[in-house]
Amino acid sequence: MKNKFLTFLFSISCCNLIAQNNGQITGDFSLNLQSYVEDAAINAAAADEVVLNNAFLNLTYSSNNFIIGLRYESYLNALLDYDSEFRGNGVPYRYAGYTIDGLEITAGNFYEQFGSGLIFRSYEEKGLGIDNAMDGIRLKYKIGKGISLKSFIGKSRTFFTYAEGIFRGIDAEIDINESFELENTTKYILGGSFISRYEQRTNPKFIIPQNVAAYAGRLNILNGGWNYYGEFAYKINDPINSLQENQMNYASGSAFTNSLTYSQRGFGITAEIHRADNMLLLSERERTGKAYIMNYIPTLSKPHAYTLLAIYPCATQAMGELGVQLDIFYKIKKGTLLGGKYGTKVNFNFSRINGLEGGYSMLNDNQDHSPDLFDFSQELYYSDINIEINKKINKNIRYNAVIANQTYNKDFLEGKTPGEYGVLNSTIAVLDLSYRIKKGHTIRFETQALFSKQLETASKEAEGDWLMALAEYTISPNWFFAIQDMYNYGNENESKRLHYMNINVGFLKGSTRFEIGYGKKREGIFCVGGVCKLVPSSNGLNLSITTSF
Amino acid sequence: MNRFFYIIIATIFISSCEVIEGPYMNGTIDPIDTTNNVYVKNILIEDFTGHTCKNCPDAARELDAIHDVYGSQIIGLAIHAGQTFARPYPIDPTGNPDEKFIYDFRTSWGEELDGFFQVSANGLPKGMINRIDYSSSGDHRKDWGEWANIVGDELSKDVLFGINIEINQTPLMLSDQFDIIINSESLSAMSGNYKLVVCLTENNITNWQKDGDNDDESYVHKHVLRSFLTPTFGEDFASEEINNGDSFSNAYSPVISTLENNNINHSQNILTLGNGNAGDWDLNNMYVLAYIYDESNNEILQVEEKSLLNK
Repeated sequence: MKNKFLTFLFSISCCNLIAQNNGQITGDFSLNLQSYVEDAAINAAAADEVVLNNAFLNLTYSSNNFIIGLRYESYLNALLDYDSEFRGNGVPYRYAGYTIDGLEITAGNFYEQFGSGLIFRSYEEKGLGIDNAMDGIRLKYKIGKGISLKSFIGKSRTFFTYAEGIFRGIDAEIDINESFELENTTKYILGGSFISRYEQRTNPKFIIPQNVAAYAGRLNILNGGWNYYGEFAYKINDPINSLQENQMNYASGSAFTNSLTYSQRGFGITAEIHRADNMLLLSERERTGKAYIMNYIPTLSKPHAYTLLAIYPCATQAMGELGVQLDIFYKIKKGTLLGGKYGTKVNFNFSRINGLEGGYSMLNDNQDHSPDLFDFSQELYYSDINIEINKKINKNIRYNAVIANQTYNKDFLEGKTPGEYGVLNSTIAVLDLSYRIKKGHTIRFETQALFSKQLETASKEAEGDWLMALAEYTISPNWFFAIQDMYNYGNENESKRLHYMNINVGFLKGSTRFEIGYGKKREGIFCVGGVCKLVPSSNGLNLSITTSF
Repeated sequence: MNRFFYIIIATIFISSCEVIEGPYMNGTIDPIDTTNNVYVKNILIEDFTGHTCKNCPDAARELDAIHDVYGSQIIGLAIHAGQTFARPYPIDPTGNPDEKFIYDFRTSWGEELDGFFQVSANGLPKGMINRIDYSSSGDHRKDWGEWANIVGDELSKDVLFGINIEINQTPLMLSDQFDIIINSESLSAMSGNYKLVVCLTENNITNWQKDGDNDDESYVHKHVLRSFLTPTFGEDFASEEINNGDSFSNAYSPVISTLENNNINHSQNILTLGNGNAGDWDLNNMYVLAYIYDESNNEILQVEEKSLLNK
C-alpha cells in the first residue's frame, strides 16, 4: 500500500515537472527468464514454476538541480541462484533529491561507500543478488576549497524490507593541496569516516552495546607515476546477542589496506597488503547472509574472467585474513623480437591470503585473544600466481594466453569440515584466439584446461581435471552465436565425468540486447570482488533482454 | 558558524557508540517467580536442524542457554528437516564403517512444517519463536542469535490460555499405550479460530552430529520431534467467541510402537534417501508437547510439555 502511494506520488510529481520544465527521463530495463528441468546427473532440480524470472526497470527524471527516480523489481519467482526472499513485485528503490548552494540532499533510497568500504558500503550487485540500498536521508556538502562532507541516516534494505539497525554515518575528505593552495608536485588527500549502528537489544545475562561504532582514516599520496593509498579501520565491541558465553565476543575489530603503485607508459607495478580481523559489520548483529553485510574488504586476488580460472575463486574473509598481492604490467615495445609488429602486453600477478594466528580476536570474561599482526605462516586460504600475455599478431589475428597456478582451501572457503575436500592445487592454461574473417565477421576460440590435485587426503571425491572449449561467431553489429562445453573428465567419481554444454544466440540493436541460451550449469562458487555466492547446478533455457534509453 | 556546525555534528556521531569494559556478564540473574501463578506464558522454540549441519549445534546450545535462564517457560522442539542437512547417509558398512549420520531423524510432519514455513530452504540453523512474524513484514525464521531477545519480548505478553497435560495408563492397555488428555482453559475473552497441536518428542538421543569442524559421535540430540498425535496444523479447538474461563478437553490414545513403525516405514518408503533407520525410541526420554495457536497468523499462544512416563 505504501509503495503504491509512493508510486502514485512519483507519477504525479513527474508529470507536473515534465509539464513545467524541459527535464530528462532516462532508464534501463533488464529481464532474465530461466527454465529449470531436473537433471539428476548434475544434481539439478526442476522448478515447480518451470520458468523463473528476475526483471527490473529503472526510471530517472532530472531537471536542473532536481532528480527523482525509482526502480520496479519483479521476481516471479526469483532465479534459483537468488535468495528466495526476493519474491514478488514492488518498488523497493525510490528517491528524490536536489542540490542547492553546494548542498546535495537525497531523501529515500541511495547507495553509499566510505573510502574503500572497510566500515561501510551500501551497493547493488545484481550478479550476486545483493542490494543493501539505504533508505533515509543523505546530505553531501562541499565546504570551501577541497573539502567535502557527506553524512546520512537510514536503514539498509534486505530483500523487500529493511533491517532493524539504524545507521548514522559521516565522511569527510580533504584535498590538502587544494585546501591550502599548495603548489606542490605531491598531492595529498586525507579522509576520515565514522559509522554508528543502533539496535534495540536486551539480554538478561550479558551487557549489550546498543550503539556500535566504527571509524576509518585514509590517505592518498600521488606524485608523478607514484600512487600510495592506505586506509585503517576500527570497530568497537559488537557482540552477538546470545546467552552463551563462548559466543559473546567483545573484541574490537580492525582492518587495513595499503597499496603502492608506480605506472608509466607501457609499465605498471602495484604492491598491496591488507589484513582484516573481526571486521564484519552487519545491519543486524545476529543475522547471517550476505544481505546483512554492510562493509567490504576489497579482495586481493586478480578477478579472472575465464571460466576455469574462476572455478575456484577467492572469497574475502572479513572475520580474519592477511593477504598480499603483486601485479606487474609491461608492454614489450613494437618492433622488438618479442614485441613483434604491434607490441606484446604481459601481466604478471601473484596473490596469497592466509588466516590469522589463532583465529580472529576474541574477548569475553573467559577468553582474551589477539592474533599477531603479521604472520604469513598460518593456514593458507588461497594463492594464485599467473601470467597473461596479450598479443596482436596481424590485423586479423590476436590472442590472449594465461597460465596460472592456484591453491584453494576448499574446506575453509566453502565452509566444509576439515578433511572433506582438503586443499586443491590447480594448474590452469587458457588460450583465447580471435580471427577477423572479414569486416564485421569475427570468430573466437577459447580453449582452457585445468589440472587439479588434492594436496592432502580427503574423505570426499575431488572434481579433478576439466577441459573447456568455446567457439563464438560475431557478426557486427547485430549478431553473435556461441557454443561452449565444459568437460569434467578427471572427476574421481566416474559417474560424474560429465559435459556441461551451452549454446547461446544474441541479437543487438542499438542499446537493446536479446540473448537466448540453452544448457547446463555446474554447481559452484561465483564471486565479484571477493563477495561470493553459491550457484546451484541447473539445466534449462534462458532468455535475457536488456535495454536502456 | 561552520566550525560550530561541524563540532555539533561530530559530537552527535562520536557519542553514538558504547565501549564496554569487562566484566561483561550482568550480575546474578533473578529467576522468574511463577509460584503464585496457575499458568505462566511459555515459549515454543522450534529449532529446524540437521545432523550434517555444522552450525546447528550452536543453535541447540543457545536453546539450552535460554532454558537455563528462563527455566520451564522455554520449551524446545528440534525439527530435523530439509533436503541438505537432515538426510541420512546410506547404510554402507564398507564405505562408512563408522556408521556416521545414518540415522533418519526426519518425520513427515517435520517435512510438512518445513515446506509450509520455508525454513530449511533459507539455510539452517533457523528457528521460530512461537511462530511470530509469520504474517507481518518481518521474517518468522529467526537466526539463533535473535532468539534470546525475542524470548524476552514474548515472555512479557499476556497469558491467553492455560494447558494442563494428563497422562494415564490403564491395566487393559498395551505397555506402550497411553491415555493423553489435554485440558485447556481460556484466560481471557477472545474471538478467532484457535487450533490445538499435540506431538511427541524424545530427549537425549546420542548419535552423530557435525559440530563445527568435528564429527561428534556422542552428540546428545534434545527435544527431537518424533510424531504428531493431531494433524500437522492441528485440530479445531475453539472458534469464534470464547469467554474467560471456558475449558476444553481433547483426548488421545497412541500406541508408541505403532508410531515408531510409521516413522520407519515413512523413512524407508517415502522420504528422499530415507533408509528406514528411524527406530530405537526410548519411552523413558519421551515427552508429550501440546500447543495452541491462532490460525489467523499462526502465532503460538501457549505451549506445555510433560514427560510421557510422568517422570
